[in-house]
Amino acid sequence: MLNIESLRFPRYEQPDSLAPLRAEVRAFLDDTLKAYSPLVRSNTWDGFDPEFSRKLGAKGWLGMTLPKAYGGHERSALERYVIVEETLAAGAPVGFHWIADRQSGPVIVRYGTEAQKQKIIPALTAGEVCFCIGMSEPNSGSDLASVKTRADKVADGWLINGTKIWTTNAHRADYMIALLRTDSSPDSKHRGLSQFLIDLKATKGITARPIKDLTGRGHFNEVSFVDALLPADALLGKEGDGWKQVVAELAFERSGPERYLSCFILLSRLVDALGKNASPAALAKVGAEVAWAVTLRNMSLSVAGMLNEGIDPGLQASIVKDLGCQFEQRLPGLAQELVGLEPTLADAGTDYQQVLGNLMQLAPSFSLRGGTLEILRGIIARGLGVR
Amino acid sequence: MNELQNMLEESVTRLFSEQVDRAFLSKVEEQGWSAELWDLVTEQGLTHVLVSEAAGGMAASWADAFVVVRACGRYAVPLPVGEQMLALWLLEQAGISAPQGVIALLPEVLEAGASFNADIPRVPWGREAGHFLGLTSAGELVLFDGSHVSVAHGQNLAREPRDTVSLKAAAPIARAASSLKPDAIRWLGAMLRAAQIAGSAAACLELSVKYTSDRVQFGRALSQFQAIQNHLAELGGSMASVDTMARTAFLALDARGLSGSDDAGFEIAAAKCRASDSVELLTRLSHQVHGAIGFTYEYDLQFLTRRLWSWRAEFGTSGEWGESLGRIATATGGDQLWALVTK
Repeated sequence: MLNIESLRFPRYEQPDSLAPLRAEVRAFLDDTLKAYSPLVRSNTWDGFDPEFSRKLGAKGWLGMTLPKAYGGHERSALERYVIVEETLAAGAPVGFHWIADRQSGPVIVRYGTEAQKQKIIPALTAGEVCFCIGMSEPNSGSDLASVKTRADKVADGWLINGTKIWTTNAHRADYMIALLRTDSSPDSKHRGLSQFLIDLKATKGITARPIKDLTGRGHFNEVSFVDALLPADALLGKEGDGWKQVVAELAFERSGPERYLSCFILLSRLVDALGKNASPAALAKVGAEVAWAVTLRNMSLSVAGMLNEGIDPGLQASIVKDLGCQFEQRLPGLAQELVGLEPTLADAGTDYQQVLGNLMQLAPSFSLRGGTLEILRGIIARGLGVR
Repeated sequence: MNELQNMLEESVTRLFSEQVDRAFLSKVEEQGWSAELWDLVTEQGLTHVLVSEAAGGMAASWADAFVVVRACGRYAVPLPVGEQMLALWLLEQAGISAPQGVIALLPEVLEAGASFNADIPRVPWGREAGHFLGLTSAGELVLFDGSHVSVAHGQNLAREPRDTVSLKAAAPIARAASSLKPDAIRWLGAMLRAAQIAGSAAACLELSVKYTSDRVQFGRALSQFQAIQNHLAELGGSMASVDTMARTAFLALDARGLSGSDDAGFEIAAAKCRASDSVELLTRLSHQVHGAIGFTYEYDLQFLTRRLWSWRAEFGTSGEWGESLGRIATATGGDQLWALVTK
């Protein structure tokens, strides 16, 4: 029997103590992002800008929840939430630190050795290291547990062979946290997996080949490992616990405000392009999306509140992503239809047309990355008790 | 939920799940008003939750009242519970003592004057009311009794009374200045309907999950088919979005009221826009997964979906509220849009 309460989003009242932090980050972003064009700002979490990341690190806004002993700030998940939603909504280029701040840092603190924590977390909180995630493979997409890239125990460490794919930033990242197969026996599909912390700059035998996406840019890669030798202490967490660790990591990946904040800047620009004299029909259409924006924001805040209170928000987070993707994938078409301008590349058109052209091309990825729409719907169906 | 909300949720669930079933709803559609249920609702104080304890109420917040209004949607309660709650609140706010019996809300702004002449269509349960409550263009709350008032019957798709109330040189029996905007009844009525839509959406989802889990075809429960699971997941998301935004509006009303430049109007408009907008998907997919049985009068789903189709338009359509939001957004400007969304 379905318990309808399990599907609802508990109301989360933000403590007043968050207000000064929000005001501070807004002022910082206003000032810092002045120099960035609307086109650059429309890349949000694809925007790669080490200098910007270092500035955030200097403000104490990276690795906020991590222990002070390693250079973290021991602030609440909600304070981090404020920074994340404000940077995304403003279209800040967060790509350099994004993965490190969101998931690699927490995973290392949770599962890493003392030496791994000492070495990496201080640099991570300073905004000086870029991480990538080695999960997907050419034959393992949504069925992640079928990964085949092997890590074989040898006398002086681990020998890695295989291929990872769709690895964002692998060609320019400092580290990869990879999910690798340490046991290939057929009855160990899940138990045969382990996580590794790979120093990409110091390891031979790793080649990252950028794969151009449909915009013509190369941010993700095919990464091949040919007898790449990792030191014994590259193992992250326990051998054979990789699946359990990765499921926990994906929960970080699936519960943030990025699920509906990849192109807020387009909604802002659309509102300005229409202006007060727009037709009632156009105002109604943009108004319906504003209603979605405020609805999704309240839903996302509820998820953050659940995380903060130690409640598993898996179902609610999947709903936010499902609805958030639909919202963001509607916006480019609507922004074109209501304003009646052609989308353009960077070489032509107005700022509006360039932002539109960029996001129109990026939008298909919104319902693919971090769990496809179909996988999310499956999770929601399970929450309804029918799977 | 707080303690009062849990208590309210429990008591409305008990009352309505015992009293309101298919046979009851069919009877009300044929024979009209159920005085017995109305008496039970008023005896339990459900229409008085917002009123002060001195006046026999619970001094509850709108956030508390949300639980009751949503339950009325969930059980398709054929009574003006939310409307009565709102009327009593408006009267107490304005310092007018409340009369006994049903008070109908006039959803249109009345032209200010000493006495009133107007034909006001689509008044919920106008025929059952002993008193009528409206707001004037001058921002005055006016209460009429039945004299110089006539009522012509009408109904919505769910056969709930939506009557035309005609005032002919009607003089109010009480009047008082209100701090609310002149069309506040439309705004607050929209907020009530958003909560009812949230409740009805939950009931549509529950019925859809139950039916597809019980019904076996091709050797499997329908709910085991991925195509059906996809429909159910969409229903779940839509329900959750309406529910979240409707409750957000009630909370905003508690926090910021309904007058002045920073009032709860933005959240209320968003709640009704989102709720009305969701009705297409909610009704289409819940009927789809039910097959032919859901299209019959003998099955419960239609009591919900016919209400959804009516409530979608009552107190303003998605388009009308979307236009209001569009005006708020364009007046705010793109650079401040995020601040508006997060206020």
